[in-house]
Amino acid sequence: MAYNGQSVHVACAFSMVEILSSLYGKVLNFNSKNPNDPNRDYLVLSKGHGVMAQYACFHELGWISDGAVEKYFSDGSALHGLSESHIPGCEVTSGSLGHGLPIGVGIAKGLQLQNKSDQKVYTIVGDGELNEGSIWEALLFAAHHKLSNFYVIVDANEFQAMGLTSQVLNMEPFVDKFKAFGFETLECDGHDLQKVTDALLSFKENRPRALIARTVKGKGVSFMERNNIWHYTRLDPTTKALALQELESGGIKS
Amino acid sequence: MRSMLSKLISRSAKENSNLYVLSGDHGYELFDEMRKATPDQFINAGVSEQAMIGYASGMSKVGLRPLIYGLASFIPVRVMEQIKLDLCLSKRPAIILGDGAGVVYTTLGSSHQCAEDIACLRPLPNLSVYSPCDRFELEVCFEEAMKADHPVYIRIGKSDRPEVHSVKLNHSGIHAIHESSKSVALVATGAMSSIAQEIGKKLGVSVYSISRIKPFPELELLKKHAHLMVLEEHSKYGGLFSSLAEKISEDVHCNTKLTSFSLEDHFAHQCGSYQYALSEHQMSDADLHRRVQARILELGNALKF
Repeated sequence: MAYNGQSVHVACAFSMVEILSSLYGKVLNFNSKNPNDPNRDYLVLSKGHGVMAQYACFHELGWISDGAVEKYFSDGSALHGLSESHIPGCEVTSGSLGHGLPIGVGIAKGLQLQNKSDQKVYTIVGDGELNEGSIWEALLFAAHHKLSNFYVIVDANEFQAMGLTSQVLNMEPFVDKFKAFGFETLECDGHDLQKVTDALLSFKENRPRALIARTVKGKGVSFMERNNIWHYTRLDPTTKALALQELESGGIKS
Repeated sequence: MRSMLSKLISRSAKENSNLYVLSGDHGYELFDEMRKATPDQFINAGVSEQAMIGYASGMSKVGLRPLIYGLASFIPVRVMEQIKLDLCLSKRPAIILGDGAGVVYTTLGSSHQCAEDIACLRPLPNLSVYSPCDRFELEVCFEEAMKADHPVYIRIGKSDRPEVHSVKLNHSGIHAIHESSKSVALVATGAMSSIAQEIGKKLGVSVYSISRIKPFPELELLKKHAHLMVLEEHSKYGGLFSSLAEKISEDVHCNTKLTSFSLEDHFAHQCGSYQYALSEHQMSDADLHRRVQARILELGNALKF
């Protein structure tokens, strides 16, 4: 898909594959026949830059066709390079950062007001996205309103567009910050499917929840891992073949 | 107009249990009536306007009806991108109330004055823009906003000007508020409609009040005039004058010319009263009486009427 569309943001998608896999596979309550089922849990992708990983899930679920993958970015095609809310399964328009999480908080608050707090909202943010002030405004609101149906998953892949998050604008320590903002907070290896699932299912306090998922940007392709040029580099025939070879040898379908 | 706004919000909240008011820690007595009757439907989101637009979008997504309130400098101007992406792009039926638009907060200075809200919002798809002048226009605009299936901005300017209408209106748009056969007329919106009416009566020219800026109403009522003078408490760029100029210039059958009496291209210079703040833009009541009369004389020579 990334090759077909000559899309950037490949590495942004690879860091959250297991997070999405855990959510769609084990955690989310959703209707595979109807992405807009009103009784669903909501998966809000606030870091819209990783949307190709979510499209891959939609493809597995049958929500987008082979043609949509093959014709990614071609004239008149539906899927953009960032999450857009008119695509079934994409709950919000994101990409301009700091938008999705406040909307997710609004969804959680709206559900709470209608006594539907058993429906949950899972919001994936990037560690770079945490630079945005609107994120912290909304975290305060979620804690103040005791939105225990609201989950934040930080895809902490250590990088943002121009470099290491620790060097651009250091946001650590995440765990201390989320705890200080009133969240029940856990931390785990974001590429360990079982640990992500266990963490997401183990929250129990009557307040919003945060999971700091420690991830590797570009995970799964050795030459992309922790190499930030893959935030904005396009695949060519050689790198595509190498990447597929590595992913397939790791037991992952193309 | 403020007591009508308070009543409309309170009434809508009672009639519609899905209506929630979100305020960025502003509003004071405006919501007293509503908070007394339906306290659970008022959410003070704190001083966090950006995220508040997101909450409204999310709440709307699960079937609630948000009404977002703030001072126009902050809601909508500070949060324009949130309005664009979180409300307009996903076509969320939310009502955005921008209070104190224009130079209302004279003594608080330029941080609280807002001459650019209409210009900021007009290019956003799926959004309607209203600018009522008195309680009658406010009521019809609010009723239309409550029925809309998309986001709506209602601009509230100086609200204690004399009333312009005397009976309930059945639609927003253009209303004649003084009629004359002269070929020059005044067109105004919001806080300027009342002074325009006063001047029009004195000078014997027609006056029209425009309560909806987008989608802009049909021109039929205005086309018969050779010259329209536009009065608005908004920048000349992107407000009523611009909207009218765009509409007229695209109409091949309309040769009407315009004069703009709008806020000038500068921030507040000094502190003072509302009339003083307007006078820095040559827009005080006395300034407008003088300027409109002078312009009519000037045009009279040119147009020979």
